[in-house]
Amino acid sequence: MAVLHRALFTWFIALLFLILLVLRLDGKAQWNWFIIFIPLWLFDVILLAYIGFNMLIHCKNGYDRNEMTMLRKVCFLVATIFKLVFEILVCVRFQYKQTLSLYIVAGPAWALLLMAIGETSRSLFNLLFP
Amino acid sequence: MFFTLNEIVRWFGMTVFEMCLSLVAWFTFSVLAVLKHENVLVTASWWTVFIPLFVCDGLNTYFCVIVFIRMYREAQYRVATFRFFSSIICLICMFVFKLLFCQKLNNKMGLSYSEMVSPLFIVLQIMMVKACQVY
Repeated sequence: MAVLHRALFTWFIALLFLILLVLRLDGKAQWNWFIIFIPLWLFDVILLAYIGFNMLIHCKNGYDRNEMTMLRKVCFLVATIFKLVFEILVCVRFQYKQTLSLYIVAGPAWALLLMAIGETSRSLFNLLFP
Repeated sequence: MFFTLNEIVRWFGMTVFEMCLSLVAWFTFSVLAVLKHENVLVTASWWTVFIPLFVCDGLNTYFCVIVFIRMYREAQYRVATFRFFSSIICLICMFVFKLLFCQKLNNKMGLSYSEMVSPLFIVLQIMMVKACQVY
């Protein structure tokens, strides 16, 4: 997929999710929270398929076109799983178990944010000290 | 993985440093928000919880102005003006969203969620235009 297609797809998913979220929060729709998160499930499935496909190609050829190591691919896979778990926990908390501790719900999101901070810091370090 | 960091930098019109700063601010905010919700931070108000985000917005605006001045001095007038205005509009919208979110949590105004989120819709439209323009 070209970058523009990926960007527009991400934009559309974000827009759709935001509209559904606002409708649910304002009480205009009483749908299940798992339905509200459908755009994000779709995005996650595509993300997992994309990473899985790239890992398969890497294993088959023994190298990567973009020179990305297998370790980084695994890190991205773990980050996507954290995102997925966070979304599931948010849905469970809102829909079924309001007593679920926020520490448990926020845990995967914190892990994801820490990974993102690590990735950007690494890039920043490489830019400053090439 | 879906986007490389360079692609995100070009699309969002943010530097890696600004991105790192925003991520740190969101992480701090989320920790403080959870602590406040779980009644660990009993005395802190929601304004206190939102401080990292407001500080981050202030710093990002400062960097945006600095980049604009430097680009302007290098005679890149058109690019500098476009970058400055698109970044400033996004920053203002994000700031308004956070302000409304904080007021909603404080129950100061009888805002609906659609009103609260409306600045984010503007940001999304700008992102779409930027994506079409950059790629």
